Amino acid sequence: MEVRALLVAPAVRGRQIDRDAGLVAAAREEPRMFLGLYDRYFDRVLGYVRLRIREEATCEDVTSAVFTTALAQLGRFRGDGPFAGWLFQIARNAVRDVQRKPKPERLPLTFEAAESRPGPEEQLLARERADRLRAVVSRLEPEQQHLLALRYGADLAFDEIGEIVGASAGTVRVRLHRILHELRRRYPHDD
Amino acid sequence: MTTEELERDLRAMAEPRESDESMRYATRARLSEQMVERPGRLRSFRIATGVAAAAAAAAALLGVALLGGPGGSGGPSTADAAIVHQALRALTGPANMIVHVKEDGVQNGRPIALEWWQETSPPYALRMIKGWGGQSHEGAADGTTRFQYDAHTNTILKTTGAKSPQPLVDPMAGVRRQLAKGDAQVAGTTTIDGRTLYKIELSTGVIAYFDTTTYRPMYLDNPQGDGSVVRTRVVAYEELPMTSETEHLVSITAQHPDARIQTRTAPSK
Repeated sequence: MEVRALLVAPAVRGRQIDRDAGLVAAAREEPRMFLGLYDRYFDRVLGYVRLRIREEATCEDVTSAVFTTALAQLGRFRGDGPFAGWLFQIARNAVRDVQRKPKPERLPLTFEAAESRPGPEEQLLARERADRLRAVVSRLEPEQQHLLALRYGADLAFDEIGEIVGASAGTVRVRLHRILHELRRRYPHDD
Repeated sequence: MTTEELERDLRAMAEPRESDESMRYATRARLSEQMVERPGRLRSFRIATGVAAAAAAAAALLGVALLGGPGGSGGPSTADAAIVHQALRALTGPANMIVHVKEDGVQNGRPIALEWWQETSPPYALRMIKGWGGQSHEGAADGTTRFQYDAHTNTILKTTGAKSPQPLVDPMAGVRRQLAKGDAQVAGTTTIDGRTLYKIELSTGVIAYFDTTTYRPMYLDNPQGDGSVVRTRVVAYEELPMTSETEHLVSITAQHPDARIQTRTAPSK
């Protein structure tokens, strides 16, 4: 079940200064400055998407779409929440759109061949393990997936996630602890 | 399974890949292109590939560079950054390709030349031919074995037991690294042999010159220990698809199929 509180711009508790506010303001005046935001968040958004989508080509496409959408929609960002929250909401929606499609459109990309090339045995085993874990993650509630991806995909700290989802760092920590507990229960660990 | 192991597996799912840098620059170029289009217009996007992508990206970034002329708000530095990024992109090939670099020049009155082929993915197999003053040396490596070719005796000396795969160490590796680190400064444009080129000064003292349209590397000024500077011309810089034919380019045995092979084991350290 989708959690409505995360679908809208989250309220920020103990409202902090958005670390991106300067760049956002600059980008509004001069679109080229958006590249600063892009550089700041590219790895995090890609990691977020990778945790939620298996197919590498789709991950790359979704990540690119997140930034092109953010650039196009920047004028609509009101700044009543952190930029990161807004950006990851775009990422979340983009992931959801892909996952809703019965047969996601597979876009040809140059770079996928390298990723799919058979490697040493341990790489294949790691890949299989990742596939199993991703399958378990995909059966979690969307909000749980979102939190996991923010933490382990985007590599955000608890307080950063808290700013994004409108909760305290402590609350985020507790939620994630519960999610991990649930995941451990469901995740086959025969190896 | 412990929580730590589970967290490790979760993080592993999002680990960076080899292709990330290429994707980073492709998307960056797309964003730059989007910036010079009409505001609010968003086209569906997919990562373009190959020559078309390079051309589009170059055009897009050139557009950004032109917009960022002196007097604009934060213009010059942003424009310079765009040039550096585009130059880096031109030197950052996708995985599973073969980078081919060919340079020539003159040092101490003698012709010098270097030609290099290297895979952009592990094991980064390479072959190179170095020429200096009429002599040449040909060598290769595939990550575990090194090869040297002796043209006089038509012999390949094969040394096994190399410790680990080598990274991409083609002649542009240093330039690529400096550009990626941001240790590079655009010093305007200059004209060499009738061509207008971007001049980019690297913190190592090397000056690299890039074509203002394609961003292809054209010349390198290499400072020497004696204070002199050797200019080399980049005759070729290209990325070749990996096929059964191009794979031969990184194989010294494929290049010299009739050569005698001597094998030895690398001394352990």
